[in-house]
Amino acid sequence: MTLLHARTLNALGLLGCCAILLVAFGYQLLLGELPCPLCLLQRAGFAASGFGFALGIRFGPRPSHYGIAILGALVGAAIAARQIALHVVPGTGGYGATLFGLHFYTLTLIAFVALIGAVAVLLLIADTDQPATLPGQGAGLFGTACLLLFLGVPLANAVSTAAECGTGLCPDDPTRYEALDAWLAR
Amino acid sequence: MMVLPFIGLATSAAAILAGRRGIAIGLWLAALFGTLALFAAHATSTLNLDF
Repeated sequence: MTLLHARTLNALGLLGCCAILLVAFGYQLLLGELPCPLCLLQRAGFAASGFGFALGIRFGPRPSHYGIAILGALVGAAIAARQIALHVVPGTGGYGATLFGLHFYTLTLIAFVALIGAVAVLLLIADTDQPATLPGQGAGLFGTACLLLFLGVPLANAVSTAAECGTGLCPDDPTRYEALDAWLAR
Repeated sequence: MMVLPFIGLATSAAAILAGRRGIAIGLWLAALFGTLALFAAHATSTLNLDF
């Protein structure tokens, strides 16, 4: 696998993480589904995992970058598994809408496991003889665009989380943008 | 508090764009530990909403 191929695959991985976060953001903004605290932490897990791909785009693929992606995915998967456990007992209901018949936290766990599998494949086909970075070679136009998108998605999540929760902990059962409403009521 | 992991991760993304790998990884690590700490605080959360 050439360095260009590896960078492209890293960019696709980063785009996948951003796409998942954007879908969740779309449900929040268009359908009014406010994220619960565990939902927000799963979003942070996707961003933390995508960080490993972002490093691969900018500095070249390295095992340490893939390790970062796996660590982020493991944290996110643990949070998703915890939320599944909250609702696994029959009669305890679920949280939020469903997609393909599954709640988002279930899909999230599947996505994190798939992400770990994809990173394992990337490690398998990685050519460790190649230098991690070539002199004068940056992220490229496509890579830079992916990195800019990756900068914007956590920023947008930060703004929406601040509007929902302010500077404190988020309510367990969010029904409105509490901090934003309080700020507008001043 | 919940906003901190996102701020940390956005700042680390900015550090990547600026070519500062060490700073980026440090910020990522801080954001990851922050996420874990917030997870510990919310691990017993129960949700009463049912759509």
